[in-house]
Amino acid sequence: MPITTTRRRLLAGSAAALALPAFARAQGAVKPRLTVISQWSAGSDGAAITALGKKFEEKGGVWQHSPVPGFTTEMMNKLRAQIIAGDPPACSQLKGPEIAAWSKIAPTVDLDAAVAAAGYEKVVAPDLAKLHKPAGKWIALPLQIYSTNMLFLSKRAMDKAKADKPPVTWADFNALAEKMKSAGMTYPLANGGTRPDDGQKFEASFAGISPTAYRAAIMNLDKKALEGPEIKAAFAQTRKIADWCDPNVGAQPYATNLKRFVDGDMGMLIMGGWAQGVLKNAGFKFDDYVIVPGPSDNGKPVFLLNADAFIFWQRKEADLQAGQMLMAQLVMDPTIQTMYSQITGSIPVRTDVDLSGEGWSDGQRTTAAALKNAVGNNQAVLSLAHNMAQENGLTAAMIDVITEYVKNKSIKPEQAVSRLADAVEGAR
Amino acid sequence: MTDVVSTATRPGQSATSEMLRRLPEFLMIWVPLLLSAAHLITFSIWTIWISFTPSTLVPVTGWVGLRNYTAVLASRNWQIAFDNLLLFGTAFVLFSLVTGLLLAILLDQRIRGENVLRTIFLYPLAVSFVVTGTVWSWLLNPGIGIEKLVHDLGWITFKFDWLVDRDMAIWTIVIAAIWQSSGFAMALFLAGLRSVDADIIKAAQIDGAGPVRTYWRVVLPTLWPITITVVVVQLQFAISAFDLVRALTNGGPGIATQLPALVVYDLMFQRSQLGRGAAAAVLMLLILLAVLLPYAAWRYLRRRQSAHA
Repeated sequence: MPITTTRRRLLAGSAAALALPAFARAQGAVKPRLTVISQWSAGSDGAAITALGKKFEEKGGVWQHSPVPGFTTEMMNKLRAQIIAGDPPACSQLKGPEIAAWSKIAPTVDLDAAVAAAGYEKVVAPDLAKLHKPAGKWIALPLQIYSTNMLFLSKRAMDKAKADKPPVTWADFNALAEKMKSAGMTYPLANGGTRPDDGQKFEASFAGISPTAYRAAIMNLDKKALEGPEIKAAFAQTRKIADWCDPNVGAQPYATNLKRFVDGDMGMLIMGGWAQGVLKNAGFKFDDYVIVPGPSDNGKPVFLLNADAFIFWQRKEADLQAGQMLMAQLVMDPTIQTMYSQITGSIPVRTDVDLSGEGWSDGQRTTAAALKNAVGNNQAVLSLAHNMAQENGLTAAMIDVITEYVKNKSIKPEQAVSRLADAVEGAR
Repeated sequence: MTDVVSTATRPGQSATSEMLRRLPEFLMIWVPLLLSAAHLITFSIWTIWISFTPSTLVPVTGWVGLRNYTAVLASRNWQIAFDNLLLFGTAFVLFSLVTGLLLAILLDQRIRGENVLRTIFLYPLAVSFVVTGTVWSWLLNPGIGIEKLVHDLGWITFKFDWLVDRDMAIWTIVIAAIWQSSGFAMALFLAGLRSVDADIIKAAQIDGAGPVRTYWRVVLPTLWPITITVVVVQLQFAISAFDLVRALTNGGPGIATQLPALVVYDLMFQRSQLGRGAAAAVLMLLILLAVLLPYAAWRYLRRRQSAHA
């Protein structure tokens, strides 16, 4: 008997001796370190992630961010190369259905415990949460939300056209555009000609005409909805929008038009909330324009969701693991989300953040209210143009059809409908 | 030196020293040749293999038969790219040939300052395609380029907006490509013109042929081997054209100026569809072979003919 006791005590003692260093490590004896790659290098995006890095360092971490400027796909090429080489970053930007696709090619970190500890799941829109736990476990965390179909109205242009009410439905929108045109604005719309911009023209039209049909056709690829009357009407509306844009813009981004927009030479812009950050950076004031939810034929706001997120890749190094946990805590923190959104012009992922305080714009408040309203009415859908509704390959095939339709006025809406259906069939 | 010669003549040691003597040239020719051949062949085979797999984000094993090929061939992107290639290839080769020949004939007139002019005409070739594309994208932009210049000069109704016109945009690539490489055609033609036997030209002149007739009936027929070389070199450039288009129009407006190389890049690196991108790359290789194989056959036949003669 006494012998067993000693043995037990000995075992317990050695177990404690073994566990102690590990415990100490987890408690921060190792300096948390995080390797991050993202496309955010300049402008308000760059400023926001730099501020996040500062917070990470304040908590005692080592922040190693390597931005890959350009399109998201450029960042993905670096990520792919690192994964194939067996050296993924501890954390990288990734969003939408790509999270599910990429999580199949390399092991990711199970964040369930951290999410439960923060009580995060209760404050995230359910559709959005689903994208970040593809196999039932949280492996990525959304950071900020944009709506891609906010309507920016130039105050000077509204005055010129003697209009005082923002449009609610597409019919209102079309009437206002005509009114602006007859008030001397040759091109009432300030949108650009990039691929995502063309995609936004179409998705704003489609979701505004019928969010139900949009969900069925674009998100669920339902064959009947892809050939339905709503999608044809959406293409017809897209043509109207395209005709009101300046053709000389070619493939340039909307930002080239912002001065003409603020000056009142162009009246309206269908764009995501990030344009606010761009307008701010370009030196324009909040009272130069108003932001309202994009046109919706049933009168209730439709929210085309675009959310940036971080995915966490499995690493063996203790300092990187500690860094991942610290980063997860920061990303879910309401004060960090507030800081981030106030820099970029987005709205926080958490639905419990109060936007009434200083530092928030009316546009952000409108957007947040629209999201709440849209989620309540089941009118929050995922954006196609910004890679939220479908994986890259399928999105690109659909945008091909849309951008060609926008640029080529001889294509009829019904032709575009059948081409889009063919493209979906071909890319699957 | 004398030592080497004397040992080489000694029997028994001659084989070794002969090998030693030839070692540098052996290393210099065969090692790079084998390396680049292995490089080329390995990656070509690897690409062909990938084109038959269901690879998307990363290469995977598996077999999907010709599915990637049928998908690429059925896509509008590829169809537009292929039509554009036919138009761009023909127009570019034809115009750069004519421009190059014309420049060469004009330079051949024993004019003053020939060296300076030749350098100027050849200079664009030294510029990278990305630079050419960027510069021409500024020149052709209706808002800041040639159109604006003419407007500012007072001709308000002047219109030159091919860059943003989806039907004409492909011609802006033709223009930039001709500017870039007709100097190359000129240099080859000029060398050809200079190697024409002066006696033949004199004989033609004595027979009473004017300058036009001399060129048309006597000089130009001797240039056709050079013409074929120029056509083949320019064609393989046209087929693999990438950087110029990417800088100038990036396939736009819409997808109006897609070319096969852009489609390959798009599929592989923008759309994460490695299998389809590889299939498109193999299709490009087949188009290249369709140009290069007849050329190789033609050279082989010519060599045999001259050997017999």
